[in-house]
Amino acid sequence: MIPTRFAYEAPGGAEEAVAILDAAAEPRVLAGGTWVVPELGSGASRPDVVVDLRRAGLGTIAAGEGTVMVGATATYADLIGSALVRERLPLLHEMAGGITGGWAIRGQGTIGGSLIAARPQSDVPAVLVALGAVAHVAGADGGRALPVPDLLTGPMQTGLARGELLTALELPVQIGTHGYVKLKRGASSWPIATAAAVAVDGVLTRLVLGGVAGTPVELEPEDATMAEIHDPWDDELAPAAYRVAVAGPLAARARRKAIGG
Amino acid sequence: MELRLNGEQRSADVDPRMLLVEALRDAFGAHGPKIGCLTGDCGACTVRVDGAIVKSCLKLAVAAEGADVQTLEGLADDGGLSALQQAFWDSHAFQCGYCLSGMLFAAGDLLERVDSPTDAEIREAISGNLCRCTGYDPIVEAIRSVAS
Repeated sequence: MIPTRFAYEAPGGAEEAVAILDAAAEPRVLAGGTWVVPELGSGASRPDVVVDLRRAGLGTIAAGEGTVMVGATATYADLIGSALVRERLPLLHEMAGGITGGWAIRGQGTIGGSLIAARPQSDVPAVLVALGAVAHVAGADGGRALPVPDLLTGPMQTGLARGELLTALELPVQIGTHGYVKLKRGASSWPIATAAAVAVDGVLTRLVLGGVAGTPVELEPEDATMAEIHDPWDDELAPAAYRVAVAGPLAARARRKAIGG
Repeated sequence: MELRLNGEQRSADVDPRMLLVEALRDAFGAHGPKIGCLTGDCGACTVRVDGAIVKSCLKLAVAAEGADVQTLEGLADDGGLSALQQAFWDSHAFQCGYCLSGMLFAAGDLLERVDSPTDAEIREAISGNLCRCTGYDPIVEAIRSVAS
């Protein structure tokens, strides 16, 4: 049983959700619950209101003008099953297919929830940076759109203001090839580090490391064999020195997957 | 709260701080789903909610208001065993039985998604369910025997 009392709301749309978030003292947004519910249960999170997005209609995946709009509450299973994602965002599709925890987790965990959780030990943040994703945010004063790196202000931290809600990710249709590498100890463990490379016509255009620092690290494409990591991430999965040591090799592996050789 | 549990309309008093797994066990009397980790890692709490498998320790009870829920108790009629349950029995695919309920749901979900799963697909399907007793091979064998 969760140790603290909270009000529970399940708003029918983003506008209603924003109104609740704006009025509450310490609200917590709930999507799939894979991060939030254990935090409620352990007492690490003690909100006055839990705002459940299960009926807010934010889970759709739709084609835009040269883009794909992925709703914040689209699950990994939604991404895996989407022909749009498979064809136009193959890096995202590959990432979703490698999410651990079994098919129940794939059906519960959401792309927006994972981004806002902003954990280094996570696939989503670095992949969204590699894909040039833009975050669409709704707020009481209207909405805004910002590149994902601007949203990720630190480990487990985002730049969302009071009353703001992530509603969707807008991703440019992928062109060229990609390579994705995930380093982890066991088949069902979280990633220690990830590397995502995107290339066009055999030339690397983006190279992003996840898990080596508190937020995704974007490398200069030529930096595949040498990676300077400032403030490397340290946790029970691996110490900072390990992450610094694997950063370069992982980047090189992702690069090779994207452009061969 | 109200929900449909194993085909039957049910209602019970539920503390709004309860997780779905706690409500199912303590309020609705369905002890099939087990509590193993409370972090969504072990899979012992896996049940079906509105047709999809769900780790019920990650769901608030109140979020399942009006849902259609299936637990271990609903896999077969009283006194009977589903094909998967029989296969787990025949293959000695459980010892302490703690992971069993969750494994059956992961397996059932696989057989719905994939017609003739490979061993790799079987292992991937149970990758969210931990077993401390069997070493997994008898579980894979049980699922394989139903799949073929």
